[in-house]
Amino acid sequence: MNQHDDARRGRGMTPTAWLTRRAALAAAAASIPLIGQRRAWGAAEPIVIGWVGPLSPPGGYAEGILMKDAAEMGADEINAQGGVLGRPLQIVYADTRGMPAEGRTAAERLVQENKIVAAFGEFHSPVALAEMEVFRKYNIPFMACDVWSDEITAKGYQQVFRNAPTISLIDTAIGEWIAAVGFKKVALLAEKNDVGLAARTAVAEQLNKAHIPNDSVDAETTTTDFTAQILRFKNATPPYDFFYSAFSEAGAYDLIRQAKELGMCPTPKCGMYNSGGEATDPTFWQNVKEAGVWLVTENVGLPQSGWNDKTRAFVKAFTAKYKAEPPGAVMESYDGLYLLADAIKRAGDTKPEGIIHALETTQYVGVRGQYSFATDKDPPWHYHQFMQAPLTLIQYDKINQTVNDAPILWPRKFATSKELYMTPA
Amino acid sequence: MLNYLLVQAVNGLVIGVIYAVIAAGLTVIFSILKIVNFAHGEVYMMGGYFAYFAIALLGVPPMAAIFVAMALAFLLSVLFERTLLTPLYSPTTERKADYGILATFGISILLRNIAIIAFGPFPLRPPSFFQGVLVWGPIVISWDRIFAAGAGAAILVALTLFLRRSAWGQALNAVSQSRESAAIVGINDRLVYTLAFGVGGALAGGAGALVGPIYALSPTMGLQPDTQAFVIVILGGMGSVGGAIIAALLIGLSEGMFVALFPDPTRSLAYAQAFSLLVMMLVLLVRPKGFFGRVHLAME
Repeated sequence: MNQHDDARRGRGMTPTAWLTRRAALAAAAASIPLIGQRRAWGAAEPIVIGWVGPLSPPGGYAEGILMKDAAEMGADEINAQGGVLGRPLQIVYADTRGMPAEGRTAAERLVQENKIVAAFGEFHSPVALAEMEVFRKYNIPFMACDVWSDEITAKGYQQVFRNAPTISLIDTAIGEWIAAVGFKKVALLAEKNDVGLAARTAVAEQLNKAHIPNDSVDAETTTTDFTAQILRFKNATPPYDFFYSAFSEAGAYDLIRQAKELGMCPTPKCGMYNSGGEATDPTFWQNVKEAGVWLVTENVGLPQSGWNDKTRAFVKAFTAKYKAEPPGAVMESYDGLYLLADAIKRAGDTKPEGIIHALETTQYVGVRGQYSFATDKDPPWHYHQFMQAPLTLIQYDKINQTVNDAPILWPRKFATSKELYMTPA
Repeated sequence: MLNYLLVQAVNGLVIGVIYAVIAAGLTVIFSILKIVNFAHGEVYMMGGYFAYFAIALLGVPPMAAIFVAMALAFLLSVLFERTLLTPLYSPTTERKADYGILATFGISILLRNIAIIAFGPFPLRPPSFFQGVLVWGPIVISWDRIFAAGAGAAILVALTLFLRRSAWGQALNAVSQSRESAAIVGINDRLVYTLAFGVGGALAGGAGALVGPIYALSPTMGLQPDTQAFVIVILGGMGSVGGAIIAALLIGLSEGMFVALFPDPTRSLAYAQAFSLLVMMLVLLVRPKGFFGRVHLAME
């Protein structure tokens, strides 16, 4: 397997093209500020919307950059179609670096200096929670995208909406699936941050309800060598027959490879799950190769059976432009902008109360299906949550398989696999 | 149980050799320039990428790419030394240690962000040196790790021979003891500083090239090994390459054993990195200079 094969499969550029593109960007970087501002469009005053997310370490900059790319695509499309209320959209991008303090500062700057009327984005729940406080203070509507902590909507801020699933939706589904398959003993490994620990807790709760013995281990987000821990799991008696990991940093690839190299999983005796998004990123197969076959993961994009024309058009355009299929987080960012644009259009102006009310009555069809936001608070995280946020559990059964081609295991209404779980050959 | 501990020990030693290569480079720089190089982890990261692109773009075989990475890391380090660190040699520069910290910290931020822009944010992985795993009784270890440990050991042996047997190595040693005295006998201290920084960078770059097939290459991959390298350098004794090697093997081994034996398995992995700091603190209580440290001297 080499880079040229990846390029032909539309999975990644050739190294020359990649380096050339990156070198050009590097040369331009000195003169172009990272937080970009688009030129005014004709004589009409632009509608300024803020995008927040990690574009540099220690944040998840890989996903953040893709989410920004999708937002840019959306803005270009909307402006090409005449903008909103006859005015162009201007997106101001703020790098929050995965740090709550940076998120707070970025939010303040977006509101005070850039005079945004709304904001969207983010990839890290702790950062979104910090940004929310600022947006609430200034009454700025905020569409939280790929952030999963229940707290984000559970706080009940009227300004805050979320178009991604929550921990309670995702990890409850994972736990229910593990129980449905009938695994007997489960090892859980979570990264030590809010989302990793919350995910691990939610899955463990479901396993405990189903009386499935389980053991949890936490790891620093910078961990890249899991050998000692994997060996400890492998040495357990009775043995584990499933290994669930909630790890979204670059070390996720190392974890998957090391688990396979050491003969722990995926094997006929022990399955493996990775949650967090790394298993759907463009360089997943280059990094894990055969170790990724039989891995189970979640996809927060719409399953292909539910694709509409917008989904097909977006996937085609994004893949053509960025040489990689868009993962779910990217679709959330793209739809996030369109949701705000739709709300502003229906509100007829950019006043926050109008946008918030319009969002609450949304019936917009985006690339991830039809959106609506709950207004009840039972349980608290329901409030302004997209309750039908797509979520499927997929299992790779071939090397270099795309997310959309991988068989769907769960929920069964979307399943394309006859089996609940495909035991590795 | 014995088999299990044996496996953990073997893996720990393999990791320890990689740590040793990184730490040896840091020690060389510190022993000569008397500054802590906060960009060392980023040069390690750049070495990994140099090897990756040498293979991907130029078709260099993976093993030869190690040498390419070391050469480019050497040149990169020399470039930074010549352009940013020369104020360290000026008698008018006050607080040289502080200057060194600030300058190298700035270099680390620069390199990390250049890497994101130039190489992209997604992890990359070069081809393996050797495919597959060795299964020998209870021991299961990838051939890439075995090769990395072997090549790392060879690099350390070469470094030791260079420092002890070659004229340049002895010049480095002389300057590390006393710059003025070395100058009296005709050693060009500026050239030695450049060489030291370059050699240190080459070692870091070589380590990065060795671990490329083992761990994913990413712009932030240097942060954690850099922290471990500082612990190792202090533990081994600042200025002692031999001490750094021994300390690295000890840290690699003890981390593996800690994860294997810590009574609470839910916390063993999370505390493993902190354990190496605990080992360092305990040793320093007994031997404040580390295993083989010299009396610390500031840059003259």
